[in-house]
Amino acid sequence: MHGFYDFVSGPLVWISFILFICGSLYRLITMAVLAKEKDPMVYAYMDFYYAIRSIFHWIIPFGSVNMRRQPAMTIVTFAFHICLICVPLFLFAHVILWKESWNISWWFLSDGAADIMTMIVIGSCIFFLVRRLTRPEVRYLTSYSDFITLAIVAAPFITGFWVYHQWIGYKIMLIFHILSGEIMLVAIPFTRLSHMIFFPFTRGYMGSEFGAVKNARDW
Amino acid sequence: MRKNILIYMAIMVLGSLFFNVSVFSQEDITAVEDSAFDVRQIMRPPVPFFHDEHNEKAGVEECNICHHTYEDGKKVEDDSSEGMECSECHTLEDKSDPAPLVRVYHLQCKGCHEERKAGPVMCGECHIK
Ligand code: HEC
Ligand code: HEC
Ligand code: HEC
Ligand code: HEC
Repeated sequence: MHGFYDFVSGPLVWISFILFICGSLYRLITMAVLAKEKDPMVYAYMDFYYAIRSIFHWIIPFGSVNMRRQPAMTIVTFAFHICLICVPLFLFAHVILWKESWNISWWFLSDGAADIMTMIVIGSCIFFLVRRLTRPEVRYLTSYSDFITLAIVAAPFITGFWVYHQWIGYKIMLIFHILSGEIMLVAIPFTRLSHMIFFPFTRGYMGSEFGAVKNARDW
Repeated sequence: MRKNILIYMAIMVLGSLFFNVSVFSQEDITAVEDSAFDVRQIMRPPVPFFHDEHNEKAGVEECNICHHTYEDGKKVEDDSSEGMECSECHTLEDKSDPAPLVRVYHLQCKGCHEERKAGPVMCGECHIK
C-alpha cells in the first residue's frame, strides 16, 4: 500500500497538474487560432465593458431572466458550483498537504462545513442525474458522455466523503479518492468540463455581440 | 508516638503521590496530544502512540531523532529535548491557524514512515475514528 500511495500522491499529482495546465493552455490557444481563421469578426466584436457586464449578470444568482424562470435549477446550480470549487481548495486536509510539501498555506474551512458542502455536491449530482433521465427536453440533448462527465465530477466527492468518515475499505478508498481527483483535473480541458476555462470567453463574447452590436441584453 | 506514625504515613502517602506524578513518563504515553492545539478547534481524533512500544518496534534508539535541539540552524547530535512538548519550540503564533505545528508533526512522523516504507502515512491510519 505504501508504494501505491506514494505513486498516486507523488508522480501522478505532478502529471495531472501538468496535463491540466498545459491542456488548458492548448485548448485556449487552438480555440483562439480557430476563431481567427473561421470567424475573425469575433475579435472585432469583443468589447471589455460589455463582456464584464454580461459575465457579472451570469455569476450573480438570479441575475438573468432564464435563472428567474427556473428557480430550483438556479439554486442547485449555484450551490453546486460554489461547493465544487471551494471544498477542494479550502479543505484542511488539502491545505495541510500543500503546507507540508511547499510550506505555503491559506484559509481553510472547518471540517464540519466541508462535510455539509460535500453533501451538497453529491446531492446536486443526483439532482442533475435524475433531471437528465426524466425531463424529455433534457434527455433529448443528453449523450453517454454527459453521464460519464457527471460520474467524473461526483467520484472525488463520494470517495472523499467516504474516507473522511473512515468507512469500510478506508485505504483503498483513499487511493480511489486521489485517483478520481486526478482524473477530474485532467478531464477539465478535454471534456465538457472545459466550460470552466471557456466560460469567461464565451459569455464575454455573447455579451459583446448583444451589447455592442445588437444593443440588447443577453441575460 | 501514634501521632508521629500518622504524620510519617501522611508524608509517605503524599510523597508517593508526588513521586508517581513526577515519574509519569514516556512509558505512559498512549497518544500524542500537544497542548498547543486549541481544544475547541481540534478537528481530528488523537493519534494513538504508545511511546516505548513504538520506538522498540521501529528500532529507534536515539531519543533525539524526535526530541531534537538545534544550534545555529544545525541539529546538535549529542543533545536532546525529551520532556519538552514540540510546541514549546515550534510555537504557534496564531492559535487559529494550527498548520505550522501540524506540519512539523506530520513531517517528522510521516516523513520517517515514508522513508522506511513502514508505519502509517494516510490521514485515517493515524487519526483513527
Ligand atoms: C518517534 C519519535 C520519538 C522518539 C524516538 C522518542 N520520543 Fe519521547 N515523545 C515523543 C512524542 C510524540 C511525545 C509526546 C509529546 C507530547 O504529547 O507533547 C514524547 C514524549 C516524551 C516525554 C514526555 C512525557 C510527558 O509526559 O510529557 C518524555 C520524557 C520522552 N518522550 C522521553 C523520551 C526518551 C527518553 C526517548 C529516547 C529513549 C524518546 N522520548 C524517544 C516522540 C518520541
Ligand atoms: C528545543 C526546541 C525544539 C523542540 C522541543 C522540538 N524542535 Fe523541532 N526544530 C527545532 C529547531 C530550532 C528546528 C530548525 C529550525 C526550523 O526549521 O524551524 C526544528 C526543526 C524541525 C523540523 C524540520 C522543519 C523544516 O522546516 O524542515 C521538524 C519536522 C521538527 N522540528 C519537528 C519536531 C517535532 C515533531 C518535535 C516534538 C517531538 C520537535 N520538533 C521538537 C527546535 C525544536
Ligand atoms: C525514526 C522513524 C520514525 C518516526 C520519527 C516515527 N515513526 Fe512511527 N513507525 C516507525 C516504523 C518503522 C513503524 C513500523 C513499525 C512496525 O510495525 O514494524 C512505525 C509505526 C507507527 C505506528 C503503527 C504502530 C503499530 O502498532 O502498528 C504508528 C501509529 C506510528 N508509527 C505513529 C507515529 C507518530 C505519531 C510519530 C510522530 C510523533 C511517529 N510514528 C514517528 C518509524 C517512525
Ligand atoms: C504518521 C501519523 C499521521 C498522519 C499520517 C497524519 N497525521 Fe495529522 N497529526 C499527527 C500527529 C502526531 C498530530 C499532533 C496531534 C496532537 O498533538 O494532538 C497531528 C495533528 C493533526 C491535526 C491538528 C490537530 C487537530 O485534530 O485539529 C490535524 C487537523 C491533522 N493532524 C490532520 C491530518 C490530515 C488531514 C492528515 C492526512 C492528510 C493527517 N493528519 C495525517 C499524525 C499524523
